[in-house]
Amino acid sequence: MAIDGLIILDATGRPIIQSGFRSSTAAYPLLHIDALNHAIAKSPRPDDVDPVLYVSGASTEGSSACCHVKYGELRFLSPVSGDVDPLYAFAFLQTFVDILHEYFGSISADTLKDNFDVVYQLLEETLDAGGHPLTTSPNALRDIVLPPSLLTKVLSVAGVSGLASPSANSHPFASPIPWRKAGVRYNNNEIYFDVVEALEAIVNKNGTPAVSTVWGRVDCNCKLSGTPDLLLTLSNSHNLNDASFHPCVRLQRWGRDRTLSFVPPDGHFKLMEYRYAPASTTSQHQVSVPFALRVATMNIDENGGTFDLALTSRLTTRPLENVYIDLFLGEGASGASCVVSHNASWNFDPKSLNLHWGIKSLPPSSTFSLRGSFTSSMKTPRPARAFRIRFEIIQHSFSALKIEQLKLTGEMYKPYKGMRGKSTGDVEWRW
Amino acid sequence: MSGQGGQDAKFFQRGKIQEFRAELHAAESKDKKFQKRKIVLKKIVANITMGNDMSALFTDVVNCLAIPSLEIKKMVYLFLVSYGRAKADQIHLVIPSFLQDCSDRNPLIRALAIRTMSYIPIPVVLESLTDQLRHCLKDRDPYVRKTAAICVAKLYTADPRKAERGGFVEMLRDLMLDTNATVVSNAVAALSEIGDRQDGVIFKLNLTVANKLLAALPESSEWGQIYILDSLLRYVPEKHEDAELMAERVIVQLQHANSAVVLTTIKILLYLMNYMENRRLIDYICKKMGPPLVTLLSSGPEVQYVALRNILLIIQRRPSVLKNDVKVFFCKYNDPIYVKLAKLEIMYRLAREENAREVLAELQEYASEVDVDFVRKAVRSIGRLAIKVQPAADSCIQALLNLVETKVSYVVQEAVIVIKDIFRRYPGKYEGIIPTLCEHLDVLDEPESKAAMIWIVGQFANRIDNADDLMDDLTYNFLDEPTEVQLALLTAAVKLFIFKAQSDTSKALVHKVLKWATEEVDNPDLRDRGFIYWRLLAINPAVAGEVVLAEKPAITTDADRMDRGALDQLLLHTGTLGSIYHKNPETFIRNATGKALADSPALNAFSRQVIVPITRNNLPPSAINIPGPGPPGPRKPEPAAPIDTAALPPRPPPTSGSSSVLIDTSGTSEHETTEDGDGEAEDEFAPTPTASADPYENLDNAFGGYLADEPRPQMNDLLFRAF
Repeated sequence: MAIDGLIILDATGRPIIQSGFRSSTAAYPLLHIDALNHAIAKSPRPDDVDPVLYVSGASTEGSSACCHVKYGELRFLSPVSGDVDPLYAFAFLQTFVDILHEYFGSISADTLKDNFDVVYQLLEETLDAGGHPLTTSPNALRDIVLPPSLLTKVLSVAGVSGLASPSANSHPFASPIPWRKAGVRYNNNEIYFDVVEALEAIVNKNGTPAVSTVWGRVDCNCKLSGTPDLLLTLSNSHNLNDASFHPCVRLQRWGRDRTLSFVPPDGHFKLMEYRYAPASTTSQHQVSVPFALRVATMNIDENGGTFDLALTSRLTTRPLENVYIDLFLGEGASGASCVVSHNASWNFDPKSLNLHWGIKSLPPSSTFSLRGSFTSSMKTPRPARAFRIRFEIIQHSFSALKIEQLKLTGEMYKPYKGMRGKSTGDVEWRW
Repeated sequence: MSGQGGQDAKFFQRGKIQEFRAELHAAESKDKKFQKRKIVLKKIVANITMGNDMSALFTDVVNCLAIPSLEIKKMVYLFLVSYGRAKADQIHLVIPSFLQDCSDRNPLIRALAIRTMSYIPIPVVLESLTDQLRHCLKDRDPYVRKTAAICVAKLYTADPRKAERGGFVEMLRDLMLDTNATVVSNAVAALSEIGDRQDGVIFKLNLTVANKLLAALPESSEWGQIYILDSLLRYVPEKHEDAELMAERVIVQLQHANSAVVLTTIKILLYLMNYMENRRLIDYICKKMGPPLVTLLSSGPEVQYVALRNILLIIQRRPSVLKNDVKVFFCKYNDPIYVKLAKLEIMYRLAREENAREVLAELQEYASEVDVDFVRKAVRSIGRLAIKVQPAADSCIQALLNLVETKVSYVVQEAVIVIKDIFRRYPGKYEGIIPTLCEHLDVLDEPESKAAMIWIVGQFANRIDNADDLMDDLTYNFLDEPTEVQLALLTAAVKLFIFKAQSDTSKALVHKVLKWATEEVDNPDLRDRGFIYWRLLAINPAVAGEVVLAEKPAITTDADRMDRGALDQLLLHTGTLGSIYHKNPETFIRNATGKALADSPALNAFSRQVIVPITRNNLPPSAINIPGPGPPGPRKPEPAAPIDTAALPPRPPPTSGSSSVLIDTSGTSEHETTEDGDGEAEDEFAPTPTASADPYENLDNAFGGYLADEPRPQMNDLLFRAF
């Protein structure tokens, strides 16, 4: 149960950084890089490449698999040769990406190259050469690998380096709780919760949802001193169907009375994820989609077609914001001309062949429309059978999840707590 | 580390060995806080990572080991790990430093030293490592102990016998009872790694140790939890209660945020269920497993894909999991193709009378999409749905006819292929649509669809008025057709002749075809079959009729289901590569050991009957399976060959727990009859009586015959290849 290592490729498929593949030949990582690049080049859509790519080995080595994910312009590869859980590889890749994010903010080929020594230290600490993940909790990592920003700050202020700095402390892992640093101090004790919910739905031609699911997530930014033990009570928690939690949450307690009892890590972390399905509203346990798309005409003619669409908000109090409607016009699509109502925008992307309709803000109960035609070099164009509609709603949550109470034990102060809600949606609307 | 954070890109320039050496020496003077040497070393490390050979600097770099700076130590160690093996003759220079660092005050340095040593598998290093490792395994700092545990596995890899003689395996075993959870999980990881080797000691757990490990679970890191959970497969419950109690303790882990923890937990639960008796608990666990599996589908497509491949296995063994969740698997337009195909397969498996309407509506939607591959599979799935769910057959046929009307070539071809199977499944019910199909003969240009259509024309020649004209057209290019089509034409011509013996056209036609097949074609199968038909017709046409128009065994959908024993075995690999490729890992991973359910008094009777023993060291020959067009009759008489081939005897109808076909093993008498110990109503399938020793064989059958030596995701599980 161990992965073989980690390789990061830049946008052109060249390796930027890789862990030391110490139990294999030097050709092994190259074999995987080539296999992936080859597969991507061969595939009509790069995203369609098998995520667990089978790599047949050279004569001296057995075959293996290459697990890879795309992150921005970069690709993260993890070769595995034993009978290993690919999810294990993917979970590690995700964890590593999260760590990089935590350390550098944005991740690009340039940031990685600029900070390659930090990335290397991170690799060394998170993954041993046998492929066993070691320390991956950001709180513990920060004790042994200094983030670049903090580093420059400390150095410029104190003018010292190396072992003398407070960072490389001689008591790593001094904290009894693996995910929390010891001795954290803040002047203002604050904790913020962000409830982010994403609606994913497929809506049939007749306007009824075939599937609609809300995936929710509670992100937390914790700035509390000492070792606070928190007890968080949520309203409407009975609506959350299946929840998964940060390791700090006491699962037994949640199982007993649906309250969250935990000692939080310091800083940003994802407290919980859940799926929301209303118990009562409809018999089908579906969340309703907050808008309606009326496809008045959608004619496909020779070398083109015409369409007439109307998008109506079903919300009554809040606007839908950053609404993007996309339609793939099919191979050979060459152009489009449209008229949009209000101050919406449209364009045709000749690269992705998508027609794109953007609405900054769709006020409650209002209707926006788009009318137009497109041309195609194909005799019978075959546009996608569905529109993809993405949107955001600020200060809103589908589940109406709220924090009822936050109790703190173990420390004497009274924390300031804040909570925000935000909803996003990604809906496929068939016509 | 660097004073100029964010400027390190400049280190990524090729440097020459000589320059570095000079720089390193120059840096020695007036090196305040070792900054200068640090920068040179950093350049060297950057060059290592670019793949430039820096090994010539060995002595120069090693000299820096004496510098009391953790950062510099780290870089030197990195250098050693990269070139230590290659510089075996000089490695003795470093040993004193290693030994010194092993007794450093700082636990990080102690750990770093043994970790580095364990990466350099050279006898002289290993020799000093063994002593140090013994101390470090008992170090008072848990960080050192946990590092030492993993080092034991490295030592074992380098020299198994030395590690065994040194008593390291026993020391690891003791570490499993350590007070620190991370140490425990690393000891488990090391023991598992050793136990997974074919030459390794066998690693098994008893109840006491298993419980101790479980106690360490809540405090372990997520990776540690995976090791511990995974090791529970090495525990064989002797009593039902033991398995049940353990499952209850493990089940909370289903709510872990890490998807790998979740899937490993599911694997253990599935395993433990084999040893349980309490029906209600089993149902409860099945119910609990559904939501976390669904949650995995909210992750990125890569995780979704792994989850879907596993779900496909799980629902075959425990159909009550996700029974009501078919909607979750509806495909999105933007899903990557591998996700779509995996979802499609699951939708088909979950289809029942209750949800057939919804599923069909979705499939129809997919059939109008753009992606050819996906559309074909969707059409095929409609046909399979018709065969699987009888009450839905009417609407499926209607859907297929609508698709034929689209005249999109590949849609029509797929539709024809599946309609042929539907005719076989429901004889006498849908032949009315044959004329509609005949209108689209011209569209068919692929061998499989052409052969299917020819089969239809031949089989129902008595109902098609212009069958002889159609056949005449179809045989026009006989000699240029692929063998598959030629074989179909040959048989169809004979059928036509038997139905319409009076017609001159058909007489001439059969004569012409037989002559071609026997005289002008090189393919021996075709020629032999030509001769057989010819003789049959010459001697007794009535017998010929009985042969070619013999009653065919009914088509069912259980042929595409996996054999239960193989399934049990594959589920032990839930989440691993084996479950992605649906093959047992020892068949495609070198040095992998197989897993098999271990027998115990608690194992349920049904599972015991289908136990597939491990075949250690028994890799399948890497011969390539040439997918040549063999004669349809004497195809390999495999127990689950997709279907038909008139040579096969009709399969016994699949009834749940049909005890008559079960092999009676002596152990079963103490359990309730031959019915599955779980009393699984959901076990709809009877075990194949010939539970073969080679689990592989069954898989191939179930998954449409992929090449044995090249596992890959099986996408076309949907094939009904019938002649």
